[in-house]
Amino acid sequence: MAVFMDLNISYTTNKKRLQSVIETAAQLGYSTVAINYVVDLQQKKQEIVKPKSVSELFKTFPIVQGKSRPIKVLNRLTVVASEPSHFRPTVDYKAYDLVAVFPQTEKLFHAACMTFDVDIICVAVTERLPFFFKRSPVNGAIERSVFFEISYTHAIRDHTMRRYTIANAINLMEICKGKNVIVSSGAEHPLEMRGPYDISNLGLLFGLSEEDGKAAVSTNCRAVCLHGETRKTALGIIHTIKKDPALTDRVEEDAPASKRAKIEMA
Amino acid sequence: MDRGAKVFGALGQRLYSNRMRRAAKKEEPATYERLVYKNTSVYHYMSISLEFENEETLSPAQLKQFIVNGLKDIYGEVGGAFPFDLLKFDELKLTAILRVYNSGLVKLWSALTLLSSFDQERCAVRVNQERCAVRVNQVSPFLLALSGNSRELELH
Repeated sequence: MAVFMDLNISYTTNKKRLQSVIETAAQLGYSTVAINYVVDLQQKKQEIVKPKSVSELFKTFPIVQGKSRPIKVLNRLTVVASEPSHFRPTVDYKAYDLVAVFPQTEKLFHAACMTFDVDIICVAVTERLPFFFKRSPVNGAIERSVFFEISYTHAIRDHTMRRYTIANAINLMEICKGKNVIVSSGAEHPLEMRGPYDISNLGLLFGLSEEDGKAAVSTNCRAVCLHGETRKTALGIIHTIKKDPALTDRVEEDAPASKRAKIEMA
Repeated sequence: MDRGAKVFGALGQRLYSNRMRRAAKKEEPATYERLVYKNTSVYHYMSISLEFENEETLSPAQLKQFIVNGLKDIYGEVGGAFPFDLLKFDELKLTAILRVYNSGLVKLWSALTLLSSFDQERCAVRVNQERCAVRVNQVSPFLLALSGNSRELELH
């Protein structure tokens, strides 16, 4: 049986709250969660920050209910893109385990589905859809195994948002037939989290079948994580890391001049 | 030929079961009884627990009203008007057992999922909205199944 995952927990600077959200997730039976850093390049002075190391968050990670294993925490970046220049896969992206894009225009949605090197495409849940989903880009995304994400926290919080969430989700399901969809929380508060079985039941309202609803919180999320890993590595086979220059410098300074390693560029 | 096969099949089965019975007599059968329900249950039972931001107390009637309001919010007057019962409510632990017809299960469950605020009239004027969550612990067509939760077992 596949384990449950929630790939969207909003990042807050309030460390205590973030901890309690993750603890709640573990209690509810989620084996993996992803902390979501949103960057909106439309607003000025926004830049992609390095994610905090997850080991800073907890000394010992909370145990997942019914699994007696600690919860796994990932970092995820969501780029809100309203212009094609906003999505530039740079080194900054590599620091994150998952990369998502939230396209604001139809053109960008098409590009996100067909060309962008991302794991997740977010679907608007707080407003009417700014464009119609078309069959060809959605099918392209399914073929490239990029997943569409619907987050449910807004539906819990507010009446109007609930209508938009359900309407947009049904719009999407009409086109993608329930394939390649994940449902995640986007929670900022522990009381906004819901259990995995609640969500697979909620999927029925979104137009998913019972089977797809369960896949949306389990197997599809696993596929997203694996896709994220292959993006980081060369097809999941070779993994390269950049040598940290700051670290080597410091080591050299500590050692006396005679003992410094001689590294010269030829 | 077809019929012959059937007879042979039935005979074979009887022989097989006789042999099984004899074998069972020899080596002390495990004591369990298998019951198969031909008709599916009419009801589903849910065990739920409530979580509030602050400490709250509420009576069974208030809880029922709370759920009914949630149903009405999402499904409206007609869609939300289906029968369900509050069988038991533990006011100290804030846990409850609900019974609902199978046809209403998805609606009730989704309404519980989407419940998020609890109106509490502290003063006469101000209506205080408080964040809350309904956790669905177990759902089963058999009431007996709610007596123990396999997910709360400690695994090693």
